[in-house]
Amino acid sequence: MNSSSSVPKLGIGLLYQEELRPFIERERQRFDFLELLPDIMWTDIGYGRNPRFIENRVGIDFLRQFRMEMPVVLHSIGFSIGSAHRFDREHIAQIAAWYDWLKFPWHSDHLAFMFTEHAAADMNVGVTMPLPYDEESLELLTPRVQEMRARVPAPFLLENNVYFFKYSQQDFDEAAFLNQLCERSGCRLLLDLHNLYTNCRNHDDDPYDFLEKLNLENVLEMHVAGGVEADGFYFDAHSGVSPPEVWELLDWVLPRCPNLGGVTFEMLGSWMVDVGEEGLAAQLARMKEMWMRHQPAPQSLEATA
Amino acid sequence: MSQRSFQAIIARMVVDPAFRAHAREQGLAGMADDLTPLEQQRLLEVASDRGMHATRLIYEDFRLSKLYIMLPLTRFLLGRKRLAREVSAFWSANLPVSYYFLQEAIDFCNYLQERLRSGLRVKYLYEIVSYERATLELQRPRLPAETIPPQTVNFSYDPISLFTQLSRQQRPRAVPPLRCTLVGTLDEDENVQWDILK
Repeated sequence: MNSSSSVPKLGIGLLYQEELRPFIERERQRFDFLELLPDIMWTDIGYGRNPRFIENRVGIDFLRQFRMEMPVVLHSIGFSIGSAHRFDREHIAQIAAWYDWLKFPWHSDHLAFMFTEHAAADMNVGVTMPLPYDEESLELLTPRVQEMRARVPAPFLLENNVYFFKYSQQDFDEAAFLNQLCERSGCRLLLDLHNLYTNCRNHDDDPYDFLEKLNLENVLEMHVAGGVEADGFYFDAHSGVSPPEVWELLDWVLPRCPNLGGVTFEMLGSWMVDVGEEGLAAQLARMKEMWMRHQPAPQSLEATA
Repeated sequence: MSQRSFQAIIARMVVDPAFRAHAREQGLAGMADDLTPLEQQRLLEVASDRGMHATRLIYEDFRLSKLYIMLPLTRFLLGRKRLAREVSAFWSANLPVSYYFLQEAIDFCNYLQERLRSGLRVKYLYEIVSYERATLELQRPRLPAETIPPQTVNFSYDPISLFTQLSRQQRPRAVPPLRCTLVGTLDEDENVQWDILK
């Protein structure tokens, strides 16, 4: 792995949600960095509109203060890097502008497409749709990742996706595809262990088989989360605490990722009522305990600046 | 180009169950002429895959949550069954265009207002939809120098009585007639404030 893709050892992160803000502000000793969906800090009026990204003043004020106390990393949902009908350079420019402001140590997005077209108009499915693990997808993604990396001088990570159906006759299995994507484009991975668990549970696959094949040197961040069972499927709903199998995966994979920068807990804010502050604190404490057993102690904000 | 057609078709299968059923039962003829044989095979397989049902559930849940969160009074007043009917009709005529909640909710209000003009009869719905739409209009994202004009909503029934019953999760009954206008503005902290002009 080249030096431009190395990241500081931040430790344990929490995904920002408005409903978690009181906890985030009061209990900041329980986590080491804040992960942020930048798309909720602005409103995207639509491709080609000027101005396109209207920033949320209240959110920006919070971030302006909070970034002085803790590292912030971005995890975007709006790039739709896999969309065949459009390469969204306007989104890259927005991320680049935020890099100039926040100097985040890395940033990430989803390996999927959400935007497509219908009758010459844009359509946003609202679901991270899977790309076929084919050579053709690599050819689509590689120059896009390279352009993102050229414009934003921080490692760019893509997250393994959840999928409820599999395309037949793919050129690669998922792990081989991710390995190829990293090698060719220079992107790194956000390994979402709950996505992996969800896929394996729904498709009766072995997550450890996937992890054995994946080049774990490329993993710079991991996600853990909870989900729900409905209609015969298990969903990555970010609903509450992580299931035991995800903790086992984390315990197994943590010592095998030499370049890992952080592990982030994701939970929708609406679940705070059920989980409670103590429950959330317990999730973070368990992550921290595992991190300290398998990874170097998190670096201070000054050291990561 | 065929990747583009492939994605457009698979996404439409998610948002339009009738389209998916057509693909499953009648095939892909006329949908796109540039698909490779493998893409055609995959689309036909996906159209019949149970996983597409799960993907549809996520789509529905996310899109419906926008209306549930943004329009609580309209939702309550419509009731579960009628809301489901109206949402279904709204979705069949309006593709999802944005990740954001506010625009979807305003578009649904516009749809309901049109339905009320063309014969939908739900007592107090005109007032409540107009009120929630105006509230959202005041909360629209805007540039720092941009100002949002006050929003006015005409009521034919006493708004205090109506809102009191709704806030108690009661279906409103016997709300006294009262012609008045509500004027909504944003205060310095960007909270919506309403005044009643009688």
